[in-house]
Amino acid sequence: MNTLLDIRNLGITFDTDEGPLKAVDNVSFSIRQGEVVGLVGESGCGKSVTALGLLRLIPMPPGRLTSGEVFFEGRDLLRLPTDELRSIRGRRISVIFQEPMSALSPLHRVGAQLVETLQLHLPIDTRAAWMTSVDWLKRVGLPDPEAQMRAYPYQLSGGMLQRVMIAMALMLEPALIIADEPTTALDVTIQAQVLELLREMKSKDTSLLLITHDLGVVWELCDRIVVMYASRVIEEGPRRDLFEKPAHPYTRALLDSVLSLSGRADRLSTIEGQVPSPLAYPAGCRFAPRCPHAFARCHQEQPPLYTLSTDRHSACFLCDKHPIAQPS
Amino acid sequence: MPPLLQIRNLKTWFPITSGVFSRTVGHVRAVDGVSFDIAPGETVGLVGESGCGKTTLGRTVLGLEPRKSGEILLGGIPLWPTRHQETLPLRRRVQMIFQDPYSSLNPRMTIQEIVTEGLLQQRLIRPRERGNAATRLLQEVGMEPSVLHRYPHEFSGGQRQRISIARAIAVRPELVICDEAVSALDVSVRAQVLNLLIDLRASHNLAYLFISHDLGVIRHIASRVVVMYLGVVVETGSSSEVLDSPAHPYSRALISAVPVPFSESRKRTILKGDAPSSSHPPSGCRFRSRCPLALPECAARVPVLEPITPGSARQVACIRKDEILDTSQHAKALLQGVFQ
Repeated sequence: MNTLLDIRNLGITFDTDEGPLKAVDNVSFSIRQGEVVGLVGESGCGKSVTALGLLRLIPMPPGRLTSGEVFFEGRDLLRLPTDELRSIRGRRISVIFQEPMSALSPLHRVGAQLVETLQLHLPIDTRAAWMTSVDWLKRVGLPDPEAQMRAYPYQLSGGMLQRVMIAMALMLEPALIIADEPTTALDVTIQAQVLELLREMKSKDTSLLLITHDLGVVWELCDRIVVMYASRVIEEGPRRDLFEKPAHPYTRALLDSVLSLSGRADRLSTIEGQVPSPLAYPAGCRFAPRCPHAFARCHQEQPPLYTLSTDRHSACFLCDKHPIAQPS
Repeated sequence: MPPLLQIRNLKTWFPITSGVFSRTVGHVRAVDGVSFDIAPGETVGLVGESGCGKTTLGRTVLGLEPRKSGEILLGGIPLWPTRHQETLPLRRRVQMIFQDPYSSLNPRMTIQEIVTEGLLQQRLIRPRERGNAATRLLQEVGMEPSVLHRYPHEFSGGQRQRISIARAIAVRPELVICDEAVSALDVSVRAQVLNLLIDLRASHNLAYLFISHDLGVIRHIASRVVVMYLGVVVETGSSSEVLDSPAHPYSRALISAVPVPFSESRKRTILKGDAPSSSHPPSGCRFRSRCPLALPECAARVPVLEPITPGSARQVACIRKDEILDTSQHAKALLQGVFQ
């Protein structure tokens, strides 16, 4: 499989009143054609900033690009002229946001927004664009698509709006879809519908970068998983391998804190302490203050990303005997 | 042991008004005839999706929403509205932890003021005892007493939720209503706060009404579950029974919809469409418009919440519950097509 998107050493810093805030620190990973990659981590770990940053959707200032390249179809997105980038956004890479209600314009009808998206990228007349939009709404399972086209976003429920967003993201048949917590705002029964839809819609040619904190969703949908903690990638690997044999103590702890529906423990296993503030990260491994396996070296040096096997990386000194990953 | 809290046929309706004279044109039936009990020291999980009335129910028990009809009894004493002199001692007995730790703490009060306000109001301590009382409370929820004079904005979500818990347990309540108390927290912090709630339950003999949409959380903290859909209870029973072998088609769909890591086969019921509005619930069974097992009779009569076997604590409101719980081959074949 060919590499579609290659993120190398991406660094994004926000200049705040309290000093520089490293939101993304030296993040590297890649996405292959047709692959579903899950970007996992707790709130504030930098997963959304990574995804928005690669499309240059982070306002600068206050944001600042400190390092890195993002290669997509052979071009560096971070250094592309704005007009060329615009032809990629929406057309080749589309985004599904967490809050469909705030991602769509409240002042324009759903149909107008779909038609505009099509006409912006394709030489197509309004009538044909309308027909195409209706067709896509039908494909994402929206009941009575003609009526929904004439509706304003506030007239639709969250689940229906997320279907509109998915239709909008898919309609130009992009090479990559970035979905930022696409089901977090939805109820579980509606989430099940949307996950089912994403699974059906995912074709061989489209890759999906799924950003989520829900390990259940990741398990269901992803081929490969990238785990972030405190602005850095700490582990990466194929889904089953990573879930069954997590190499980083943080991944292990994250998996242990998943609550199963069957059986119950008297006490839940927890990760003691709190995520460090991005304004004052510890000098060594950022997980060291909470890590049950930490030793002296962890508090002094930042562990590099070790390569355990092809596709399998972990940033933990416990993996020291392995070679260090080179950005490919 | 007599129940601590008894809810009898409780209804909370909100008027829908229209026009310049705000004429009432209909009602949102947020809670529409709910009955259940909570024993002293028991944790009851109230589950359902947004808009099912679970939060309104919790707020009505606390007297934050006026009820339309029905009864709420705390230790046999009818609640809300009570005369002013009677309100104070009842308030001491029921406390609440809210979902959003960012909006539920007054930003202009220090931590000490927040956690001791109830104690002063109830005249359980004198003003000069504030410092000692606050120190003790913070220690109980696992926080350093050095933070007493700080303000809420200086704390993370998990820390704030600990402060909310300290405030709730300060007056030694018998019942704490936890409305999505851990939903806003990240997984690693969520486990810490859940463990704290479990420890406090034992040390203070607390009963919890634990409102949550997260079935994993409910499984770990609640001994009994009440499942709500559009303002009514569709199923209730011990958490292991309900979550392992749900008898109501809605409970089945809800439980199967939760994505669980490490699960191999996905036997999943995908419900069609959205939940209808609770201002115009469907006739008969409210779930029938989305139910994969609905029959024509379901539109005609409202299913009664009744024990699955006479005398059982497990209650289900579905006319086909016997078929669903039937483990024979015939019944399995019936369900196979629907509950994939």
